[in-house]
Amino acid sequence: MSTPLAWKNLTHNKVRTSIGVAGVGFAVILIFMQLGFLGAIKKTATQIYDALEFDLLLRSPAYLHLTEPRSFARARVYQAASLPEVSHSRPFYLGLSEWQVPITSNAPLGSKASDPDNLSGQWRGIITMGTDPSDPGFSREDIRQQARQLSDPRFVLIDSESKPEYGPVQGDEFSQADIGVTTALGPNRVRIVGLFKLGTGMASNGACLTSPEGYVRACPWQAIDEVNFGLIKLHDPSQAEAVKSQLQAIFGIPASVSNAESQQQLDAALLTNADVEILTRAEVNKHEEYRWVVDTPLGQIFQLGVWVAVFVGVAIVYQVLSSDIASMMGEYATLKAMGYSNKYLTIVVLQQSVLLAIVGYVPSLAISWLLYQLVESESGMPMFMTVEIMLTVFLLAIVICVVSGLGALRKLFQADPADLF
Amino acid sequence: MTSQTTIPATSGAFAEGMHLPKTVKVENLNHFFGQGELRKQALYTNNLEVRRGEIVIMTGPSGSGKTTLLTLIGSLRSVQEGSLRVLGNELCGADRDLIVQLRREMGFIFQAHNLFESLTAYQNVNMAAELVGLDPMITEGRIKSLLTRLGLADRIHYKPNSLSGGQKQRVAIARGLVHKPKLILADEPTAALDEKSGREVVTLFQELARDEGCTIIMVTHDNRILDVADRIVNMVDGRIKSDVAVQETSVICEFLKGFPLFSDLSPTTLAEIADQMMVHEAVAGDEVIRQGDAGDLFYLIRSGSVDVLIDDGQQRKKVAELKQGQYFGEAALITDEPRNATVVAKEKSVFYALDKEEFQAVLATSATFEEELRQALFNRQ
Repeated sequence: MSTPLAWKNLTHNKVRTSIGVAGVGFAVILIFMQLGFLGAIKKTATQIYDALEFDLLLRSPAYLHLTEPRSFARARVYQAASLPEVSHSRPFYLGLSEWQVPITSNAPLGSKASDPDNLSGQWRGIITMGTDPSDPGFSREDIRQQARQLSDPRFVLIDSESKPEYGPVQGDEFSQADIGVTTALGPNRVRIVGLFKLGTGMASNGACLTSPEGYVRACPWQAIDEVNFGLIKLHDPSQAEAVKSQLQAIFGIPASVSNAESQQQLDAALLTNADVEILTRAEVNKHEEYRWVVDTPLGQIFQLGVWVAVFVGVAIVYQVLSSDIASMMGEYATLKAMGYSNKYLTIVVLQQSVLLAIVGYVPSLAISWLLYQLVESESGMPMFMTVEIMLTVFLLAIVICVVSGLGALRKLFQADPADLF
Repeated sequence: MTSQTTIPATSGAFAEGMHLPKTVKVENLNHFFGQGELRKQALYTNNLEVRRGEIVIMTGPSGSGKTTLLTLIGSLRSVQEGSLRVLGNELCGADRDLIVQLRREMGFIFQAHNLFESLTAYQNVNMAAELVGLDPMITEGRIKSLLTRLGLADRIHYKPNSLSGGQKQRVAIARGLVHKPKLILADEPTAALDEKSGREVVTLFQELARDEGCTIIMVTHDNRILDVADRIVNMVDGRIKSDVAVQETSVICEFLKGFPLFSDLSPTTLAEIADQMMVHEAVAGDEVIRQGDAGDLFYLIRSGSVDVLIDDGQQRKKVAELKQGQYFGEAALITDEPRNATVVAKEKSVFYALDKEEFQAVLATSATFEEELRQALFNRQ
């Protein structure tokens, strides 16, 4: 029944409204991208762990991050298997090795080794994983199947998500055509016998998988009885916490510094010389996310990016709304003289803000979705438009517009009907 | 004795009786602008009463305070000193809710039209109607008939940018009238209008005043519409210099013209005399003047009636009965002798009285004084 003044104002001044919508849209797309990148970082941080089969993870207390995991005695892995709750306890090897780009016939004729386009023979850091081919530590069936081919230490599987700089035959990605290619991994020659699809995200540009024997050939500084991870699978995953405590007792690991109840426990926690630590999957994920989102500048950059986008949005929308109000001071003052309350005027401006937010959001969502696809196909980062991101950005868009609207309201309250005569 | 009031005769306060409801009552109103050293007084002890259904035109040079007074009455400014009652509410110290409520009972017409560019003429007018919660069906008819009367029948659904200046002003006028306000405050409402639409607007004002008891106060310099004013208020330097009920003044002038001494005076002089007269009241039995007293006032009977009694030493004899429009008390002023008769009110009466000095000043300016005097004295015998 009542005149939709906010809507009429928006649709009337199309130029100003377009600027507002563009402003909101710009901010919204920026936020979408930042949150998309942040999500991709979180996703890739645990990408390898997600593919591994474990309820509890053993790793060295000196573990830094995925490509610097340090090692511990393989005996600990077998020791864990002694508990009846444990169904499997598998050693897993993971480290950074060097991959020589295969010298293949597709290098341009006559190109020299110094030519930057000619990658052949160059060395690239690569994540190298070692697992028992007869009982691979992966939960994904496709990888388990492929791993069975690793019957010889000289055989490797290459991650088809690896970047083109690792020299696939087809030039853009590793495919069936690369099977049979030989190259060097670390100090020794290997043959590509198959592919698997994993993706390593931020940690590295490429990955390969081999057997434990293959791993120590690639990383000769590590002995075969020194492993990087122990993958403990339980009969009943819900017992993870209980089994963790049992294992801590077996390995002589104090509960933790923060849980210490007495001085003795605290001393023990600080002075422990336990050579292994035990984490549940949730703890692993938390640790990894924390490392990528908080410890590294990457996460901070994107979080800062979100705030910058919010401020840019507020600045633009505030400008649009306040110049809109400024151009209608007489009209708003007339409304006040007619007996419209400040409350009504506030509602009009806030409606206008929220409408601007919604009108700006919808197309930006579509554009951002396309950009996500683009980024994913170009960089290989897993960009997911989750409901959580959509809602977060929508709320932020509303917040941007409402904050700007509230700012612009100050001007409106100054509209003095006494100035009209 | 009669009770003398401080009410000027031309205020019209007694034209239709003392106690018609007052839409606006201004008492000892002062207003200041600025703070501290820069504080400057804009209004000086203003007094004004506007009755229900009256059309008041305010005039005066710019800076005389008429706009300030108008915004105070419109509750658009807060009252600082004095009393201001509008539609029965004291505005001095009124809270926001009351003010917002009160504003809905008023209609404002500003010099600038201030229409929302985004809304059509109809929607702009409707902004005022929906605020007071009129029935939408009735509102629709009312908006359309108002706009049609103002010559905008074919522009009802146009937006302001396709209307001319005069058309926009007429939309703004319709917006000020649509919700049947009890008080309309207008600032140069006809300035942007041609003769014909200006006339239509003031005719509308008159209809609202007559049919709905709407009170209208407008500031205007448009002398084409002076004829609709019931009262003309002239302000100079923050003071109400004159506040004249047009109808009442014309009645007084007619009465004064009936007095032979004044019959040749020009309307301007008569209006000046009327301006000087003050209201006196008497109830039945009051002696208005007493034989033998020194004469100090000239009386005109506005309402009621009196007996004229002469005491010849033995008894009081009634020599005449005077009614509305007649006068008494002039002889003592002309001859400078004591009162030659006693005048007693027969009923509740109202007189307009002129001071002796003023009376003589008027006579002195009259070129035909000598002749008129002789004529008057002769007619008495």
